[in-house]
Amino acid sequence: MSGILALKNLSKSFGRKKVLEGFSLTLKKGQVYGLLGKNGEGKTTLIRMIMGVIPPDEGEIFYKDNKIHFRDDSYKREIGFIAEESIFYSWMSIKELLKFNASFYPKWNAPKANEYLEKFSLDPKTRIRNLSRGMKLKLGLIVTLASEPELLILDDPTSGLDVPTRHDFLKEIIKELSETGTTILFSTHIVHEIEGIIDNLGILKFGRLILDENFHDLKNSVKRVLLTSNDPIEDKIKIEGIITQNINGTQCEMVVYPWTEEKKKEIEALNPASLEVKPLNLEEIFISFA
Amino acid sequence: MIKIDTTSFIPFYEQIKQQIKGRISVGTLRPGEPLQSIRELATMLLINPNTVARAYRELEREGFIRTRKGKGCFITDDSSTLIRKERTAILNQVFDDAIEEAKKLNLTESEIKKIFERRLSLKTERQKKGERK
Repeated sequence: MSGILALKNLSKSFGRKKVLEGFSLTLKKGQVYGLLGKNGEGKTTLIRMIMGVIPPDEGEIFYKDNKIHFRDDSYKREIGFIAEESIFYSWMSIKELLKFNASFYPKWNAPKANEYLEKFSLDPKTRIRNLSRGMKLKLGLIVTLASEPELLILDDPTSGLDVPTRHDFLKEIIKELSETGTTILFSTHIVHEIEGIIDNLGILKFGRLILDENFHDLKNSVKRVLLTSNDPIEDKIKIEGIITQNINGTQCEMVVYPWTEEKKKEIEALNPASLEVKPLNLEEIFISFA
Repeated sequence: MIKIDTTSFIPFYEQIKQQIKGRISVGTLRPGEPLQSIRELATMLLINPNTVARAYRELEREGFIRTRKGKGCFITDDSSTLIRKERTAILNQVFDDAIEEAKKLNLTESEIKKIFERRLSLKTERQKKGERK
């Protein structure tokens, strides 16, 4: 199997605006994939395509090696999906919503749903329209986890929520990970929160992935290089792989990728007065590339 | 309390390993004591359970902890001896590096010994002063 989910050469335009162009991504079973991109780079479009809400103009989507056709619902029974605004039927009560979902998902785990209802102190009789954003997220989590998904797609699920609610959400996701080892595609704006969870990072820009790498390896190969010179630095330093460069008097700060021994030697050959190489955290990596 | 530094060069699993070893070394984790479960530690630190699992797996392979089926991980009886060995190995390395540096300065053996003795007595003196204060 070439991964649980494979996206091949997806393109999508809205009018004249090209949102995705030749986008490819493969998600391996058990992987936690962090998908980052600035607003308007097409993350949500991409996820809506995976969820079969909109068709791609070009390209193919495979779920477990089977090509997905637009408006084909069968594979969605194995996918859990939580978005910023989950679509619920607001006139339903929580109990009715769970019953409704139970009939859709073949692996529905009713005891798990009830256990979570109690844990989150949600009253099954409450109408969905009367729930707060935080409570709706919790309900989305219950519906998703009780369906025992093989693939979990999270599209900025915690945006606009307070820190404790976000932490509770992440804790439940991590608990689920440790119990089922489910595959996760995690798209978020609260970048630092997924730093410890993801094992792969993708950055979406210009309609495709400009970065798609194992996060552990990436942390070893993206470096911030701080260099000082005895004289003011006049020209930009030219070596390959400089992602960003800031010159301030006798100081130069660069983000370099991939950082190698050869590049270190190239920079040392410039005879800097001092040279410092530091790692970047996820937020800094995102800022440098996005 | 284990903490993860996201801006560190050290990988997360290695940070967990080092901190657990540190606690064994100072005696806040004693032989026979249980470790938090993988799930507990992962949810506490908000990190991938696989990362914690990797740290535990390596600690087990190195002999610091033992998994009892269905009961979790426990600190082994040998753990403190192992820590001592590991620390001694690090110390030896530090001495080796120091000797290497000295050789670069073309110092003789007796000069190196003198430096070492001087540093040692300086340190002891300073410590005594510190105690008096």
